Amino acid sequence: MKFAINKTDLQTLSQHPLFWVILSLSLVITPHLGRFPIWSIFLIALLFSWRLLCIKRPHWLPPKWLLLIIIVFSSAGLFFHFGTLFGKTAGSVLLSILLAVKLHESHSRRDYMLLISLSFFIIITNFLFSQSIPTVIFMLCITLVLLVSMITINQNNAAIDNLTKLKLSVKMLLQALPLMLILFVLFPRISGPLWKLPEEDSSAISGLSDTMSPGNISNLIKSSSVAFRVQFKNKIPAQQNLYWRGLVLWYFDGQTWERGKQNITPEPTLLTSTNKIDYTVTLQAHQKKWLYALDIPVDIPEDVIYTRNFVLRSQHKITSLYQYHLTSSLNYKIQSDISPWEKSAGLKIPPQSNLKTLFKGQQLAQRFSQPEDIVDHVLKTFNREEFHYTLKPPLTPGANPVDQFLFETKRGFCEHYASSFTLLMRAAGIPARVVLGYQGGTINPMTKVLTVRQSEAHAWSEIWLQDRGWVRIDPTAAIAPQRIEQSLDAALDINESRPLHIQLSSSVFKNIFFYWDAIDNRWNQWVIGYDTAKQKELLSKLLNQRIIFSDIVILLLASFSLVLLITTLFIFQPWKRTRLDPVIEAYNEFCKKLSLKGITRESHEGPFDYSLRAIKTLPEHKNSILLITRLYSKLRYESSHSDNQLTQFKQLIREFNPGRTPGR
Amino acid sequence: MRNSLPLVPRFAERFIQRFAKKRQPPTTHQVEINRHFLYILPTRHGVVFFIVLLLILFGAINYENSLGFMLAFLLGALSLLGMIYTHQNINKLNVHIGRAEPVFVGQNMSFPIILSQKTKQLRPAIQLLSQTEQVSHVHLINKTSSTSQLTCTAQHRGYSTPGQIKLFTEFPFGLFHAWSWLNLDSRCLVYPAPYSHSLPNFKTDQDAHGSTTNMKQGIDDFSGIRSYQDGDQPNHMAWKAIAKTGKLQTKLFSNETSQDIWLRWDQLDPTLDIEHRLSFLCRMVLDASNHSRNFGLDIPGTKIFPSHGLQHKQQCLKALALFGL
Repeated sequence: MKFAINKTDLQTLSQHPLFWVILSLSLVITPHLGRFPIWSIFLIALLFSWRLLCIKRPHWLPPKWLLLIIIVFSSAGLFFHFGTLFGKTAGSVLLSILLAVKLHESHSRRDYMLLISLSFFIIITNFLFSQSIPTVIFMLCITLVLLVSMITINQNNAAIDNLTKLKLSVKMLLQALPLMLILFVLFPRISGPLWKLPEEDSSAISGLSDTMSPGNISNLIKSSSVAFRVQFKNKIPAQQNLYWRGLVLWYFDGQTWERGKQNITPEPTLLTSTNKIDYTVTLQAHQKKWLYALDIPVDIPEDVIYTRNFVLRSQHKITSLYQYHLTSSLNYKIQSDISPWEKSAGLKIPPQSNLKTLFKGQQLAQRFSQPEDIVDHVLKTFNREEFHYTLKPPLTPGANPVDQFLFETKRGFCEHYASSFTLLMRAAGIPARVVLGYQGGTINPMTKVLTVRQSEAHAWSEIWLQDRGWVRIDPTAAIAPQRIEQSLDAALDINESRPLHIQLSSSVFKNIFFYWDAIDNRWNQWVIGYDTAKQKELLSKLLNQRIIFSDIVILLLASFSLVLLITTLFIFQPWKRTRLDPVIEAYNEFCKKLSLKGITRESHEGPFDYSLRAIKTLPEHKNSILLITRLYSKLRYESSHSDNQLTQFKQLIREFNPGRTPGR
Repeated sequence: MRNSLPLVPRFAERFIQRFAKKRQPPTTHQVEINRHFLYILPTRHGVVFFIVLLLILFGAINYENSLGFMLAFLLGALSLLGMIYTHQNINKLNVHIGRAEPVFVGQNMSFPIILSQKTKQLRPAIQLLSQTEQVSHVHLINKTSSTSQLTCTAQHRGYSTPGQIKLFTEFPFGLFHAWSWLNLDSRCLVYPAPYSHSLPNFKTDQDAHGSTTNMKQGIDDFSGIRSYQDGDQPNHMAWKAIAKTGKLQTKLFSNETSQDIWLRWDQLDPTLDIEHRLSFLCRMVLDASNHSRNFGLDIPGTKIFPSHGLQHKQQCLKALALFGL
């Protein structure tokens, strides 16, 4: 058995339809690999390479019973791994394995075509996970390979090299793009799902969760993915005012803060609100219901729920890009009285844990009479004592994480400070709660759009003060004011390693970074977020009138036909048909030169008769006239001639000059 | 003819054929395919592809997935372009048919087909389907013309036409089947099928010799009449025939061609039917020719005097092929 592959073998292999089918399948599956169980990747790779080897050795193909066993066992394996066979991920693994098995039963054009059609289906399953620009570019590349595969399957052993096929595919893809664009913009978008969506496994999506325990925000910091983008209508507030309120956490079990049961209480009332800011938020899908708003929202859209904690909630999970307009007030005063439920929840202390902290809180309550003084004292302690702000705090295992942080490690991130401060306040008898959200964001200097990333996740406290209501206190601002006033980058110690995107945004690549951010924003707004509302908005703006459904259909049909007509014209190229054969073109030039001498070719006259007439008038040019005529009939009427002859023919005619007698 | 169109039931194909017949160009030896008689339908793969495309579209609507929409629309546009390209692959294609060499019944006639175009457009994977469902492939790649053989089994003796040819293509994507039915003017002479066993007469030299002695029938054996040629003996004039026709005719006698073989219709078993007799005679002609003998053919209506050579053989076979037609 020989395993050595030489160049000609490789060349014939690259012309085999199966080679292209296997290449297509591999490429289509590639973006999924990260989500596949390891064993399934090995199985698929094995099946692919096995089939590739069998192209030349058909007797190596596995028997049917073996394929059946592979299907049964891998289905069982997938069921154990995912608990289902029909989820997004499990389904795509199963489909991939089935295709790899089907490959071993594929011998004809029909089978190959089926595999290619199904490959297109696998591409879309990847879009359920990612819709970024690189994904689209990859999709176009895969589509090209699939087109080449389809051509290879249907070329019937024609001797077309792969480059020609690739060129043809690229040409067709480019011709298809305008049509695709028209359909994309004008195809009537139906809102709402056609059938119930299966439950999402949200583990893959990064974002704030509705609990806070030491470590989970500093983990999020490493993610550079965008949480939301904000377009301000007029002015952009100062960096230290950009508190994006997401969730309010009331319950603490000594380790973890939770929302707990939300009590239905009357609508919150604002006493005063000045310094109003208008803005639009474009929220990335985070599979949760809560929405982020600048602290605090005062004017909200109709379909959004306004809870008593000044937190906004959507009626559905945010499963795709979601846009909303808000007005927030930066200087506000909330109602002065506290409800009994809020008071009891805001003072609740987990028993038998973090005892040192509780004791400290009680001490503070005895030392100061005014709550403001207690707050002041604690913040000063954070600022003056050996407290550090770090992305990599030491672990605080055990039952008393707050004690450990406050009295031992003294190194932590915003969640440590918010958690310990809130608990201290409660211990001192001041109602307090934790607020989760984001702080800050990066203004793109090109677009003036604020991008808030997961790395800007933040936690802070709110305490209830007599006459002032709920007041925001950010203990992080006391320990690392740069974090609030500038950015995370400024707050971190110079030696601390930063996430990659932070390094990028402050390096020489800054402009590229912002440029990319701007493109990404546009992409999100106009491509991923393109829905029924966006479609109506765009078309209304374009046509300067209100748009109804039938308008869209008419517009679609009209513009699609128009673009199809133009594309078809490009394919048919009717103007090219009028262009003559180069042979005829050159011969016409010859006739023109002769007609200047008064020898005009009659329409009924054949080239030979014409040459005889020409020779009679111009006997000194006999040789060249005869040669040209002979070459003409050869080029024109004989099927086999070389390009050399054509060049010679053209040259002869160029040099033919009846005005000059030869030999002078 | 088996239905050759994808996804079209037989009765519908017959209907389409009837429709196509009215639009067909006159039968000539050359035709340029144009949209008047160029038809296109999706293939089975095309339908499967379309179903997958719909699945992608429904998935995109359901998940409000913009990229899903994009892929569905891209594939839609590509298949539409594929249709145009498939159509273009044979549109404005010149088809020229040549003469086919004579064959025997049961053999394959092969008509040379020349496909040509004015430009150097890439037109690969063009297929020709003959009446007897033989397929031949033609690829026009970087050239203006290409020749192929249309093979078609000869069914009966005499002149045979290629009949209705189907020229089709599914290039580039195999999603559409574009075709044109062509009636091209060409004919092929089909000789009767030679009797499948060699006849004893010519099996060996000795046998052949024996048979020749059988055929030597002396000077008085009248063997036929031909028109008068200079030098013919006057006592051999066929006066009766001259009286009947008014032309000079000469009687021929076997001994004049004593080295010659006469293959005669009448010598054969009279119980045999015509085709069998022709088949026997055909075999005799071939065998005699193979043994380089001088032979003549005498069948009702035609009499070919003994001679030899390829042309003579072809003349005899032609006479057999066209007997009674």
